[in-house]
Amino acid sequence: MANNPLPWTLKPQADIKPPEKVGMVIDLRRCVGCHACAVSCKTEHAVPLGSFRNRTQVVQRPDSLKLSFVPMICMHCEDAPCLNACPSTAITRELDGRVLVDEVRCDGNQECVGACPYGAIFFHPDKQVASKCNLCEHRTEVGMPPACVEVCPTDALRFGDLADPADPLVALHANESARPMKPEAKTQPRVVYMGLEPWMDDKLPGVQRAADGEGEDGLTYE
Amino acid sequence: MSSHKRPEVTSDEADAKAPTTLSRRELLTMAAAAGGWTLAGGLGCSIFTPARRGKALEEITSAPSQPTIPPLPGDVIDYRTATAIPTICFGCTTHCGVIGWVQDERVRRISGNPLDPNSQGKICAKANGMIAYTYYPERLLYPLKRVGKRGEGRWKRISWDAALEEIASKMRPLREAGRPDRFVFHYGRDKTKGYTKRFTNAFGTPHRLNRRSICSSNRRAPLMSFYGREFEWESQDIANTRYILNFGGNPCEAYQGGLFILNRLQTARVDHGAKLITFEVRPSATASISDEYHPIFPGTDGAVAMAMCHVIVDEERYDKAFIDRWTNVSVEELAPTLKRFTPEFAEQVSGIKADVIRRLAREFADAAPHCCTLSNRGSAKHYNGYQSDRAIRLLDVLVGNVGKPGGFCLSSLRGWAGRYGQEGLPKLSQPGPKPSGPKAWAPGHPAFEELPAEIKERVSGFPEMWKKKYFGELATPSEYPLSWHWYSMRVGQLVYEYIRESRQKVDVYMSYTLGAAYGYPEARAAREVLASEELIPFHVAIDIGYSEQAALADIILPDATSLERWDAHSTNNYGLIPYTGIRQPLVEPLGEARSVQVILRDLARRIGGGMETYFDFDDMEDFYKGWYSNLPMDWETFKARGIWYDETREPDYELYERPLTDEELVDSEVEAETGRIFKRTGPKRRCIGLRMPDGKAVRGFPTPSRLIEVRDDVFAIAARAVGIDESDPLADPLPTWFPIPGHEQIPTDRFVFTTFKWNVHAQGRTGHLKYQAEIVHSNPLWINPETAKELGLQEGDEVEVTVYRPQGKTYKANEKEPVGSFINRVKIVHGMHPRVVASSHHTGHWEHGPIGGERDRIAESGGPGAGMDPALADPDIAKRMWWSKARGGVGRGVHINDAMPINPAPLVGGQNWYDNICSIKRT
Repeated sequence: MANNPLPWTLKPQADIKPPEKVGMVIDLRRCVGCHACAVSCKTEHAVPLGSFRNRTQVVQRPDSLKLSFVPMICMHCEDAPCLNACPSTAITRELDGRVLVDEVRCDGNQECVGACPYGAIFFHPDKQVASKCNLCEHRTEVGMPPACVEVCPTDALRFGDLADPADPLVALHANESARPMKPEAKTQPRVVYMGLEPWMDDKLPGVQRAADGEGEDGLTYE
Repeated sequence: MSSHKRPEVTSDEADAKAPTTLSRRELLTMAAAAGGWTLAGGLGCSIFTPARRGKALEEITSAPSQPTIPPLPGDVIDYRTATAIPTICFGCTTHCGVIGWVQDERVRRISGNPLDPNSQGKICAKANGMIAYTYYPERLLYPLKRVGKRGEGRWKRISWDAALEEIASKMRPLREAGRPDRFVFHYGRDKTKGYTKRFTNAFGTPHRLNRRSICSSNRRAPLMSFYGREFEWESQDIANTRYILNFGGNPCEAYQGGLFILNRLQTARVDHGAKLITFEVRPSATASISDEYHPIFPGTDGAVAMAMCHVIVDEERYDKAFIDRWTNVSVEELAPTLKRFTPEFAEQVSGIKADVIRRLAREFADAAPHCCTLSNRGSAKHYNGYQSDRAIRLLDVLVGNVGKPGGFCLSSLRGWAGRYGQEGLPKLSQPGPKPSGPKAWAPGHPAFEELPAEIKERVSGFPEMWKKKYFGELATPSEYPLSWHWYSMRVGQLVYEYIRESRQKVDVYMSYTLGAAYGYPEARAAREVLASEELIPFHVAIDIGYSEQAALADIILPDATSLERWDAHSTNNYGLIPYTGIRQPLVEPLGEARSVQVILRDLARRIGGGMETYFDFDDMEDFYKGWYSNLPMDWETFKARGIWYDETREPDYELYERPLTDEELVDSEVEAETGRIFKRTGPKRRCIGLRMPDGKAVRGFPTPSRLIEVRDDVFAIAARAVGIDESDPLADPLPTWFPIPGHEQIPTDRFVFTTFKWNVHAQGRTGHLKYQAEIVHSNPLWINPETAKELGLQEGDEVEVTVYRPQGKTYKANEKEPVGSFINRVKIVHGMHPRVVASSHHTGHWEHGPIGGERDRIAESGGPGAGMDPALADPDIAKRMWWSKARGGVGRGVHINDAMPINPAPLVGGQNWYDNICSIKRT
């Protein structure tokens, strides 16, 4: 044991192969709504109170006494409504498929916020620009998984390279029961769900709580 | 006070010694330059090894500090230059191995440590809370002394020198007068694995009070009764199980070791088809992800378990060979008890349908031995809790899954000192010399003679096994002998009442990580006693934040947080291989905070009189290095990895069948009539195992008979000792179930009020941690929709909940006057049991700063702000607490504990948190 390298030791940059085609699967059959992902993300990016890059929605099931838990992040859509809506071309798709906000180009018009069917974008109260999940670029470029994926106790969040045939994510992503959220929006997201049931899409809010405290989106379910 | 200057220490309070010329920052820079470790890849990720560890601590800590609060980060972590340091989480009590990432002397992130065989690299939402409390704007950083009357909230900053001198001057005379028992040390969460005991033993007081009874006594007693003192907690083999019967456990959100279960549970279910069946009163996360969730009437889990046992015996689905070989009962002996617990009977009391009970019992038995029970507060925090949990545990015994793959397994709980199941493991213990404990109280002992006559009489009638470990009413309450029969779990919720009744006189009272003033049942009674200078002449609180408990102190000492200190760590591994981990400082304590180890060491030295001989070490790292001197891994490697275990060791399956070695059998003899094997060491003999009918010498269980003690006469003995009739089911040596007094006929306009825990919170100490508080900041009253309709209630309505006294043999039983009431708002939840209403208990503070109490103490002139540092200000909290009342949100929660009755279960003393009968009225 003493001779094995520590798992958190970073590989030399030359040995790191960041994903060519980012993908994520969120497996609702495993999610227990623990919010580890949400708090990990908040801490990693110092996301302001009142805004979320990652949030776990809790919904009452229609068919039983139980609750269901649905983590939501930016879906990194191949046909991103936010990108299409931005008049300043401040939102771009990277080669690997990540959808990113250019904070320098962003002029704070906030068209993207309402355009997103998933409520993934917020207006950063300090930076005064649009802000959202970037799949932890600063981590993936050194070979680490996104902050949310790293902590999930049940492996409900999985991240990987859809262009790598050896990556187990490929089979999961292609599984016939894996599908996007709100498919009617035709966004072709890179983030897909297992165990997402038909009744869930409508129950899941397309907005997140705004920083000024308005809006009830089912997040605060205490 | 808008100035951001650090509060000044006035000249008459400043230390006499001259300050060192190096600031802390300079010391750290020197250390980094001297170079710590460089890991594979040469990327500059270094292990933090400050130069001060070579320096005598005395020189550094006696200097007035120049606290450098690291600024809020401006950017994301640069992983190529940040430092990764393994440690042990303290976001709750599960204690997962974690990695802390440090950049610019600030802890930035907590991740899981993949080397931890228990948590397997996973963490929960609470882990990053350690960062939140280390940098909380109103964290306590300087010693404080009260000004004016206790509890007025007025404070002045004093030096450590002055603080320790005053405390020592109050404690020393007690010891010198031969009355160390007048010093009471009361902790909430002590994970120092015996370090604070070193202090209390050296001082000579038996009064180490805790909160075990507030927590889990009722579920530990049944385990220790069946399996021995070693196994007050079990390690179900979740990874390999196929069927789990869960009576009110919630490992998805809480539970001691919850994450260790959670990280195996969903894989077992989703990938391997394991089934989880949950009995609960609300749609907890665990109930929600279960294959079946059955709402059950509170306090009837034991009836359902007994009925399942009835089915298993009746239909001959039990493992006869296992029962005959390994228990002290036969099925014939159990049959009369089980006979009356028919599924129909259980249905009547619990609401669970008889055919469901039958089906589940059969499914459980069919899956055996790869099946197990799970239970925790839901089944145990009741008047009938300990008998109910014995009934639940009987299920595992009947089908013989104990110690089997996928079954109810038992694995070592604690850091090793050569105990049962720890053969071949390195002996780890605090470096000596270690003080021995105080002597038990017998007639003639001054403290014994001061006891009320009735108590002296009761104790004099005790069997010898209890007389020889009686230490007065606070540590070993004579009315609750089973709260200290196996070990001293105590009855914490009665401590303040006992002090009020003068069952024990107190001169110096020390709180450590304790939140009794907020979190104990009938907390206002605790506050009344704490506020009384007559009952508690001197109160010292060691805390990291200005809590409700600290607010009632005379001196507050600022503790280091878990990110800033050392601890040895070990707990039971759900992966069934014993392991150990090290908690080590990621950063130096902020301000003048000092770890409890340093505080108690320095205090012991000041008190002197021989105490100092047990605290003759300057460097805390050296002390812990000594603790681990037998570890077969060098210290630097251990620190770098954070975890050690023997990868070649077999998992702890069927420990009881392990043969005794020839070496172990040397100088041993077999007791013919029982088969017990005793080993002689000098004049003493110790039971080490059992000779089985087949002739094999095996370890057996660490119980008196070396068998699973399904029949345990200690319950009858205890009942007799406190005057409970032997016919009372509380006294039954066999597992049984009986209704909670007063619950048989609850009027239709009354309900059972229960509390619960959230996944983002831990008890009463996380409500002010920003990201966790953002997700759960209040605690509305969960109520079933039909019940709400009957009461004419709608979502968000304000109601008054009044809680009544319990019945039976408990504190203030049957008193007509309600315990108290609280105002709360309605939240309609479909999955609630119709006769139960519930609130969580994490929020509702009036202290703990801007998030906890929605008040800014730091701004108050003459207040506890003198112990805080405005440089910790967080504009995010100041500007964006969107849920606060001030911003039009629902605000923080409602404090409910003043209305929760003190309600210890007879004999064992566990607090019956979930028995409360209440009425609900719209305001």
